[in-house]
Amino acid sequence: MANFNTHFMVASGASAVLSGTLLSMEVVSPEQAVYAFALGTLGGLLPDVDSAHSTSIKVGFNVLSLLMTIMLIFVKSSTYSLIEMFIVAGLVFAGIRYALLDIFRKISKHRGMFHSIPVAFIWGILVAILMQYFFGLNSLVSWVYGFMVTTGYFVHLILDETYSVDLRNKRIKKSFGTALKFGKIKTTKDKIQTAIIYVSIPLLMSIAPDTSLIENALFSHDAWLTFKDVLIPYDGKWFLH
Amino acid sequence: MGIFSGCVPAPTPQISLGGIVGGVRANSTVHAVVDKEYGAKPINYTNSIRAYFSTKIARGNLSTYKYGKPKRAYKRKGLAYGGDIAWKGWLVETSIATPTRTGRLLTPKPYMVLFSGEQIVEHILGYSHKLLIKVDK
Repeated sequence: MANFNTHFMVASGASAVLSGTLLSMEVVSPEQAVYAFALGTLGGLLPDVDSAHSTSIKVGFNVLSLLMTIMLIFVKSSTYSLIEMFIVAGLVFAGIRYALLDIFRKISKHRGMFHSIPVAFIWGILVAILMQYFFGLNSLVSWVYGFMVTTGYFVHLILDETYSVDLRNKRIKKSFGTALKFGKIKTTKDKIQTAIIYVSIPLLMSIAPDTSLIENALFSHDAWLTFKDVLIPYDGKWFLH
Repeated sequence: MGIFSGCVPAPTPQISLGGIVGGVRANSTVHAVVDKEYGAKPINYTNSIRAYFSTKIARGNLSTYKYGKPKRAYKRKGLAYGGDIAWKGWLVETSIATPTRTGRLLTPKPYMVLFSGEQIVEHILGYSHKLLIKVDK
Protein backbone atom coordinates (compact mmCIF):
# COMPACT_ATOMS: atom_id res chain seq x y z
CA MET A 1 0.00 0.00 0.00
CA ALA A 2 1.38 3.42 -0.91
CA ASN A 3 1.84 5.90 1.93
CA PHE A 4 0.38 9.41 2.31
CA ASN A 5 3.36 11.20 0.74
CA THR A 6 3.36 8.92 -2.32
CA HIS A 7 -0.39 9.39 -2.81
CA PHE A 8 -0.01 13.15 -2.40
CA MET A 9 2.89 13.42 -4.86
CA VAL A 10 1.36 11.20 -7.54
CA ALA A 11 -2.12 12.74 -7.26
CA SER A 12 -0.73 16.29 -7.41
CA GLY A 13 1.48 15.37 -10.39
CA ALA A 14 -1.44 13.83 -12.30
CA SER A 15 -3.68 16.78 -11.38
CA ALA A 16 -1.08 19.28 -12.56
CA VAL A 17 -0.81 17.56 -15.96
CA LEU A 18 -4.59 17.29 -16.32
CA SER A 19 -5.47 20.83 -15.18
CA GLY A 20 -2.67 22.21 -17.41
CA THR A 21 -4.14 20.32 -20.37
CA LEU A 22 -7.64 21.64 -19.63
CA LEU A 23 -6.25 25.17 -19.40
CA SER A 24 -4.41 24.78 -22.68
CA MET A 25 -7.56 23.42 -24.36
CA GLU A 26 -9.40 26.54 -23.07
CA VAL A 27 -11.88 24.41 -21.15
CA VAL A 28 -11.08 26.30 -17.93
CA SER A 29 -9.64 29.72 -17.04
CA PRO A 30 -6.28 30.01 -15.22
CA GLU A 31 -8.05 30.57 -11.88
CA GLN A 32 -10.33 27.55 -12.43
CA ALA A 33 -7.29 25.45 -13.38
CA VAL A 34 -5.78 26.16 -9.94
CA TYR A 35 -8.98 24.97 -8.20
CA ALA A 36 -9.09 21.93 -10.52
CA PHE A 37 -5.52 21.07 -9.53
CA ALA A 38 -6.32 21.39 -5.81
CA LEU A 39 -9.48 19.26 -6.12
CA GLY A 40 -7.66 16.58 -8.11
CA THR A 41 -5.00 16.38 -5.40
CA LEU A 42 -7.69 16.22 -2.72
CA GLY A 43 -9.41 13.43 -4.70
CA GLY A 44 -6.15 11.50 -4.55
CA LEU A 45 -6.26 11.54 -0.76
CA LEU A 46 -9.98 10.86 -0.31
CA PRO A 47 -10.03 7.03 -0.45
CA ASP A 48 -7.96 6.79 2.73
CA VAL A 49 -10.41 8.80 4.84
CA ASP A 50 -11.88 5.44 5.87
CA SER A 51 -8.59 4.57 7.58
CA ALA A 52 -9.09 5.53 11.25
CA HIS A 53 -5.59 6.90 11.92
CA SER A 54 -4.40 7.96 8.47
CA THR A 55 -3.15 11.47 7.68
CA SER A 56 -5.86 11.63 4.99
CA ILE A 57 -8.69 11.44 7.50
CA LYS A 58 -7.17 14.27 9.57
CA VAL A 59 -6.54 16.45 6.50
CA GLY A 60 -9.99 15.61 5.08
CA PHE A 61 -11.87 16.50 8.24
CA ASN A 62 -9.76 19.63 8.83
CA VAL A 63 -10.62 20.86 5.32
CA LEU A 64 -14.30 19.91 5.67
CA SER A 65 -14.72 21.58 9.08
CA LEU A 66 -12.97 24.76 7.92
CA LEU A 67 -15.01 24.84 4.71
CA MET A 68 -18.31 24.45 6.56
CA THR A 69 -17.31 27.10 9.11
CA ILE A 70 -16.36 29.57 6.36
CA MET A 71 -19.62 28.85 4.52
CA LEU A 72 -21.60 29.50 7.69
CA ILE A 73 -19.82 32.84 8.12
CA PHE A 74 -20.70 33.78 4.50
CA VAL A 75 -24.37 32.92 4.99
CA LYS A 76 -24.87 34.46 8.42
CA SER A 77 -22.51 37.45 8.33
CA SER A 78 -25.33 39.85 7.44
CA THR A 79 -27.70 38.71 10.20
CA TYR A 80 -25.60 37.40 13.11
CA SER A 81 -23.61 39.54 15.53
CA LEU A 82 -19.90 38.81 15.88
CA ILE A 83 -20.42 36.97 19.19
CA GLU A 84 -23.25 34.82 17.76
CA MET A 85 -21.15 34.03 14.71
CA PHE A 86 -18.11 33.16 16.84
CA ILE A 87 -20.14 30.74 19.01
CA VAL A 88 -21.93 29.01 16.11
CA ALA A 89 -18.74 28.81 14.00
CA GLY A 90 -16.91 27.24 16.95
CA LEU A 91 -19.69 24.69 17.46
CA VAL A 92 -19.78 23.77 13.76
CA PHE A 93 -16.00 23.43 13.58
CA ALA A 94 -15.75 21.29 16.74
CA GLY A 95 -18.82 19.26 15.77
CA ILE A 96 -17.32 18.23 12.43
CA ARG A 97 -13.64 18.06 13.37
CA TYR A 98 -14.12 16.04 16.56
CA ALA A 99 -17.65 14.60 17.00
CA LEU A 100 -18.32 13.65 13.37
CA LEU A 101 -14.77 12.36 12.91
CA ASP A 102 -15.19 10.15 15.97
CA ILE A 103 -18.47 8.69 14.64
CA PHE A 104 -16.94 8.22 11.18
CA ARG A 105 -13.94 6.35 12.65
CA LYS A 106 -16.30 3.96 14.44
CA ILE A 107 -18.49 3.10 11.44
CA SER A 108 -15.92 3.01 8.61
CA LYS A 109 -13.70 0.11 7.71
CA HIS A 110 -10.44 0.58 5.78
CA ARG A 111 -10.43 -0.90 2.29
CA GLY A 112 -14.19 -1.28 2.47
CA MET A 113 -16.40 0.27 -0.21
CA PHE A 114 -14.47 3.57 -0.05
CA HIS A 115 -11.84 1.84 -2.15
CA SER A 116 -14.07 1.07 -5.13
CA ILE A 117 -14.78 2.30 -8.64
CA PRO A 118 -18.45 3.32 -8.13
CA VAL A 119 -17.54 5.42 -5.07
CA ALA A 120 -14.97 7.28 -7.20
CA PHE A 121 -17.86 8.26 -9.52
CA ILE A 122 -20.14 9.16 -6.61
CA TRP A 123 -17.56 11.64 -5.27
CA GLY A 124 -17.31 13.27 -8.70
CA ILE A 125 -21.10 13.59 -9.01
CA LEU A 126 -21.37 14.94 -5.45
CA VAL A 127 -18.73 17.57 -6.11
CA ALA A 128 -20.48 18.64 -9.35
CA ILE A 129 -23.81 18.94 -7.49
CA LEU A 130 -22.20 20.86 -4.63
CA MET A 131 -20.46 23.28 -7.01
CA GLN A 132 -23.68 24.16 -8.82
CA TYR A 133 -26.17 24.27 -5.94
CA PHE A 134 -23.88 25.74 -3.29
CA PHE A 135 -21.53 27.97 -5.24
CA GLY A 136 -23.66 28.63 -8.34
CA LEU A 137 -20.94 27.57 -10.80
CA ASN A 138 -21.92 26.75 -14.37
CA SER A 139 -22.43 23.12 -15.48
CA LEU A 140 -19.09 22.82 -17.29
CA VAL A 141 -16.93 24.05 -14.40
CA SER A 142 -18.97 22.05 -11.86
CA TRP A 143 -18.39 18.88 -13.86
CA VAL A 144 -14.71 19.67 -14.48
CA TYR A 145 -14.21 19.87 -10.70
CA GLY A 146 -16.13 16.61 -10.24
CA PHE A 147 -14.08 14.99 -13.00
CA MET A 148 -10.85 16.09 -11.28
CA VAL A 149 -11.91 14.57 -7.95
CA THR A 150 -12.88 11.29 -9.64
CA THR A 151 -9.60 11.20 -11.58
CA GLY A 152 -7.57 11.86 -8.41
CA TYR A 153 -9.55 9.12 -6.69
CA PHE A 154 -8.77 6.66 -9.51
CA VAL A 155 -5.07 7.57 -9.33
CA HIS A 156 -5.14 6.59 -5.65
CA LEU A 157 -6.89 3.26 -6.32
CA ILE A 158 -4.52 2.38 -9.19
CA LEU A 159 -1.51 3.27 -7.05
CA ASP A 160 -2.75 1.03 -4.23
CA GLU A 161 -3.15 -1.86 -6.67
CA THR A 162 0.29 -1.20 -8.16
CA TYR A 163 1.83 -1.38 -4.67
CA SER A 164 0.18 -4.73 -4.02
CA VAL A 165 2.41 -6.32 -6.65
CA ASP A 166 5.86 -7.10 -5.23
CA LEU A 167 8.14 -7.08 -8.27
CA ARG A 168 11.34 -7.97 -6.39
CA ASN A 169 10.00 -11.11 -4.70
CA LYS A 170 7.72 -11.79 -7.68
CA ARG A 171 4.61 -12.24 -5.58
CA ILE A 172 1.20 -10.68 -5.23
CA LYS A 173 0.32 -9.31 -1.79
CA LYS A 174 -2.90 -10.14 0.06
CA SER A 175 -4.17 -6.60 -0.55
CA PHE A 176 -4.33 -7.17 -4.34
CA GLY A 177 -7.82 -6.50 -5.69
CA THR A 178 -9.08 -4.68 -2.58
CA ALA A 179 -8.66 -1.17 -4.01
CA LEU A 180 -9.80 -1.14 -7.62
CA LYS A 181 -13.00 -3.13 -7.29
CA PHE A 182 -16.60 -2.82 -8.45
CA GLY A 183 -18.10 -3.91 -5.14
CA LYS A 184 -18.12 -6.46 -2.34
CA ILE A 185 -20.56 -9.34 -2.13
CA LYS A 186 -18.99 -11.58 0.52
CA THR A 187 -21.40 -10.91 3.39
CA THR A 188 -24.99 -9.62 3.53
CA LYS A 189 -23.68 -6.27 4.84
CA ASP A 190 -21.33 -6.02 1.84
CA LYS A 191 -24.20 -6.79 -0.54
CA ILE A 192 -26.43 -4.10 1.02
CA GLN A 193 -23.62 -1.53 0.92
CA THR A 194 -22.83 -2.32 -2.71
CA ALA A 195 -26.53 -2.15 -3.66
CA ILE A 196 -26.95 1.24 -1.93
CA ILE A 197 -23.93 2.60 -3.78
CA TYR A 198 -25.16 1.45 -7.19
CA VAL A 199 -28.70 2.74 -6.58
CA SER A 200 -27.42 6.13 -5.43
CA ILE A 201 -25.57 6.79 -8.72
CA PRO A 202 -28.68 7.25 -10.94
CA LEU A 203 -30.45 9.09 -8.09
CA LEU A 204 -27.60 11.58 -7.80
CA MET A 205 -27.39 11.92 -11.58
CA SER A 206 -31.06 12.92 -11.68
CA ILE A 207 -30.29 16.08 -9.68
CA ALA A 208 -26.80 16.67 -11.10
CA PRO A 209 -25.98 19.55 -13.50
CA ASP A 210 -26.38 19.13 -17.25
CA THR A 211 -23.61 16.91 -18.67
CA SER A 212 -23.77 18.00 -22.33
CA LEU A 213 -21.14 20.73 -21.91
CA ILE A 214 -18.48 18.46 -20.40
CA GLU A 215 -19.26 15.74 -22.94
CA ASN A 216 -18.59 18.24 -25.70
CA ALA A 217 -15.56 19.78 -23.99
CA LEU A 218 -13.76 16.54 -23.11
CA PHE A 219 -15.29 13.52 -24.81
CA SER A 220 -16.23 14.66 -28.31
CA HIS A 221 -14.51 14.61 -31.68
CA ASP A 222 -14.18 18.39 -31.38
CA ALA A 223 -12.35 17.94 -28.04
CA TRP A 224 -9.97 15.44 -29.63
CA LEU A 225 -9.17 17.89 -32.45
CA THR A 226 -8.59 20.66 -29.91
CA PHE A 227 -6.26 18.38 -27.94
CA LYS A 228 -4.29 17.61 -31.12
CA ASP A 229 -4.13 21.37 -31.88
CA VAL A 230 -2.49 22.13 -28.53
CA LEU A 231 -0.30 19.01 -28.25
CA ILE A 232 2.50 20.20 -30.54
CA PRO A 233 3.15 23.64 -32.10
CA TYR A 234 0.56 23.99 -34.87
CA ASP A 235 2.92 26.19 -36.95
CA GLY A 236 5.94 23.92 -36.46
CA LYS A 237 7.95 26.62 -34.63
CA TRP A 238 9.16 25.05 -31.39
CA PHE A 239 9.76 27.61 -28.60
CA LEU A 240 9.82 30.54 -31.06
CA HIS A 241 6.34 32.01 -30.60
CA MET B 1 -33.02 69.65 -19.01
CA GLY B 2 -34.32 72.45 -16.78
CA ILE B 3 -35.22 72.23 -13.16
CA PHE B 4 -38.95 72.43 -14.00
CA SER B 5 -38.87 69.52 -16.39
CA GLY B 6 -40.43 67.34 -13.68
CA CYS B 7 -43.72 69.24 -14.26
CA VAL B 8 -43.93 68.10 -17.86
CA PRO B 9 -45.88 64.84 -18.30
CA ALA B 10 -43.46 62.04 -19.12
CA PRO B 11 -43.85 60.76 -22.68
CA THR B 12 -44.56 57.09 -23.36
CA PRO B 13 -41.21 55.24 -23.45
CA GLN B 14 -40.15 54.88 -27.07
CA ILE B 15 -36.80 53.70 -28.32
CA SER B 16 -35.97 54.47 -31.88
CA LEU B 17 -33.65 52.23 -33.84
CA GLY B 18 -32.65 54.75 -36.45
CA GLY B 19 -29.60 52.91 -37.72
CA ILE B 20 -29.03 49.62 -39.42
CA VAL B 21 -29.66 46.64 -37.16
CA GLY B 22 -28.65 43.17 -38.34
CA GLY B 23 -28.44 44.30 -41.94
CA VAL B 24 -32.07 45.50 -42.05
CA ARG B 25 -32.88 49.18 -41.95
CA ALA B 26 -35.16 49.78 -39.00
CA ASN B 27 -37.61 52.52 -39.89
CA SER B 28 -40.23 51.70 -37.33
CA THR B 29 -40.25 52.89 -33.75
CA VAL B 30 -39.89 50.03 -31.24
CA HIS B 31 -42.03 50.26 -28.13
CA ALA B 32 -40.23 49.14 -25.01
CA VAL B 33 -41.94 46.33 -23.10
CA VAL B 34 -41.76 47.02 -19.41
CA ASP B 35 -42.66 44.19 -17.05
CA LYS B 36 -43.48 45.20 -13.48
CA GLU B 37 -41.40 42.42 -11.94
CA TYR B 38 -38.76 41.79 -14.58
CA GLY B 39 -38.11 45.33 -15.81
CA ALA B 40 -37.70 46.58 -19.35
CA LYS B 41 -37.21 43.99 -22.07
CA PRO B 42 -33.84 44.57 -23.78
CA ILE B 43 -34.15 45.77 -27.36
CA ASN B 44 -30.62 46.35 -28.54
CA TYR B 45 -29.45 43.04 -27.10
CA THR B 46 -27.60 41.68 -30.13
CA ASN B 47 -25.11 44.56 -30.20
CA SER B 48 -24.77 44.52 -26.41
CA ILE B 49 -24.02 40.79 -26.37
CA ARG B 50 -21.45 41.02 -29.16
CA ALA B 51 -19.69 43.96 -27.48
CA TYR B 52 -19.79 42.20 -24.09
CA PHE B 53 -18.30 38.92 -25.30
CA SER B 54 -15.59 40.59 -27.38
CA THR B 55 -13.70 41.15 -24.12
CA LYS B 56 -15.01 38.18 -22.11
CA ILE B 57 -14.06 35.19 -24.25
CA ALA B 58 -10.94 34.41 -26.27
CA ARG B 59 -11.34 35.57 -29.89
CA GLY B 60 -14.85 36.83 -29.12
CA ASN B 61 -14.63 39.43 -31.88
CA LEU B 62 -13.90 36.70 -34.46
CA SER B 63 -16.79 34.49 -33.35
CA THR B 64 -20.15 33.75 -34.94
CA TYR B 65 -23.20 34.63 -32.85
CA LYS B 66 -26.79 33.39 -32.90
CA TYR B 67 -29.39 34.93 -30.63
CA GLY B 68 -32.66 33.74 -29.16
CA LYS B 69 -35.53 35.98 -28.07
CA PRO B 70 -35.43 37.60 -24.60
CA LYS B 71 -37.19 35.54 -21.92
CA ARG B 72 -38.15 36.45 -18.38
CA ALA B 73 -36.13 34.58 -15.79
CA TYR B 74 -34.75 34.75 -12.29
CA LYS B 75 -31.71 33.31 -10.57
CA ARG B 76 -31.05 32.33 -6.98
CA LYS B 77 -27.76 32.74 -5.15
CA GLY B 78 -25.87 29.55 -4.35
CA LEU B 79 -26.90 27.92 -1.06
CA ALA B 80 -23.49 28.87 0.35
CA TYR B 81 -24.52 32.52 -0.07
CA GLY B 82 -28.02 32.20 1.37
CA GLY B 83 -30.07 31.03 -1.64
CA ASP B 84 -32.06 34.29 -2.01
CA ILE B 85 -33.08 35.64 -5.39
CA ALA B 86 -29.96 37.27 -6.82
CA TRP B 87 -31.33 38.52 -10.14
CA LYS B 88 -34.66 38.94 -11.86
CA GLY B 89 -34.82 40.18 -15.43
CA TRP B 90 -34.52 39.13 -19.04
CA LEU B 91 -32.38 36.34 -20.40
CA VAL B 92 -31.16 35.89 -23.95
CA GLU B 93 -29.95 32.46 -25.07
CA THR B 94 -26.97 32.94 -27.33
CA SER B 95 -24.86 30.44 -29.19
CA ILE B 96 -21.28 31.41 -29.98
CA ALA B 97 -18.95 29.57 -32.35
CA THR B 98 -15.40 30.58 -31.49
CA PRO B 99 -12.32 29.84 -33.55
CA THR B 100 -9.42 28.06 -31.83
CA ARG B 101 -5.93 29.58 -31.83
CA THR B 102 -5.25 27.59 -35.00
CA GLY B 103 -8.29 29.14 -36.67
CA ARG B 104 -10.53 26.05 -36.61
CA LEU B 105 -14.14 26.94 -35.78
CA LEU B 106 -15.39 25.06 -32.70
CA THR B 107 -18.88 23.65 -32.16
CA PRO B 108 -21.03 26.58 -30.95
CA LYS B 109 -21.18 26.98 -27.17
CA PRO B 110 -24.48 27.84 -25.52
CA TYR B 111 -24.65 30.86 -23.21
CA MET B 112 -27.40 32.51 -21.20
CA VAL B 113 -26.91 36.26 -21.04
CA LEU B 114 -28.69 37.94 -18.13
CA PHE B 115 -30.01 41.49 -18.58
CA SER B 116 -31.32 44.14 -16.26
CA GLY B 117 -32.93 46.50 -18.74
CA GLU B 118 -30.36 47.08 -21.48
CA GLN B 119 -27.48 46.28 -19.12
CA ILE B 120 -25.80 42.85 -19.15
CA VAL B 121 -25.45 41.60 -15.59
CA GLU B 122 -23.63 38.32 -16.19
CA HIS B 123 -23.41 35.36 -18.54
CA ILE B 124 -23.74 31.66 -17.75
CA LEU B 125 -22.28 28.92 -19.90
CA GLY B 126 -24.99 26.42 -20.93
CA TYR B 127 -28.74 26.67 -21.49
CA SER B 128 -29.59 25.36 -18.03
CA HIS B 129 -28.55 25.94 -14.44
CA LYS B 130 -30.09 24.48 -11.32
CA LEU B 131 -30.38 27.91 -9.69
CA LEU B 132 -31.90 29.64 -12.72
CA ILE B 133 -35.59 29.47 -13.56
CA LYS B 134 -36.89 30.53 -16.95
CA VAL B 135 -40.40 31.97 -16.60
CA ASP B 136 -41.04 32.08 -20.36
CA LYS B 137 -40.40 28.76 -22.07
